[in-house]
Amino acid sequence: MSTTSTGTVLSDVTRTDPSTLAGNLTGAEGAAKRLTKLAIIVREGAYDRILTPLAFGYLAAAAGADVDMLFVNWAVRAVMKDECNKLPMSAEHSDDGAYIQEQVAKAGLPPTIEGIVQAMKATGKVHIYVCSLAAQIFGATRENLLDQVDDIVGATWFLTERSLGADITQYF
Amino acid sequence: MSNEPKADAVLETSGLLCPGPVVETSKAISGRVQIGQVLQVVSTDPGANLDIPAWCRNVGHELVFASEDPEGTFRFWIRRKQ
Repeated sequence: MSTTSTGTVLSDVTRTDPSTLAGNLTGAEGAAKRLTKLAIIVREGAYDRILTPLAFGYLAAAAGADVDMLFVNWAVRAVMKDECNKLPMSAEHSDDGAYIQEQVAKAGLPPTIEGIVQAMKATGKVHIYVCSLAAQIFGATRENLLDQVDDIVGATWFLTERSLGADITQYF
Repeated sequence: MSNEPKADAVLETSGLLCPGPVVETSKAISGRVQIGQVLQVVSTDPGANLDIPAWCRNVGHELVFASEDPEGTFRFWIRRKQ
């Protein structure tokens, strides 16, 4: 048997024998509910705070889900051409910027926010929307937003036409 | 090693961490194997142990076999179903 378990990386509680997981796929779990639509609302625009919603969106798209992301308030800067690649770190993590960027590259994500957004859009499953109020506050227009942004929309539309129909809505 | 199925292609993701292994697997399953063929994915991400099976389940591909070696390297054999 080629399958072994070291039991040293994670505790026995969280570690699941991968061969067992393979078996589960033919059982009841194989018919379990699937993630088909994910809505994400992003408010924070600091570099370290934008990574997680982008990673979740990218993952969900890779898993076949349609992903709708609404960028509100400071997060709008993350999808503006002149701002997206020079986002500041959040105040409490301001000393960790270089380290975080290094770790992001190690994870296999593109090195820039723009690159991550491009990769997400390349899945064909991700739609990116900017809140119209935030666009006005931060001076975002169709011209200075990344080409990957689908539209400037109202929050009511996003809630009723996207979030309501999603399996999950995440807030960051 | 006799239990390991034959793979039609191998994706090496060792060193990558979440979300790297899943997004690279997603690209490789449609780019490197035909429907019915098997992609072997190699990962050292501790999260891959649960992530790759969950990804297979959500997308609808078949995880035919999985293993972990003593150094913590996971190998997944995934049959492309669609």
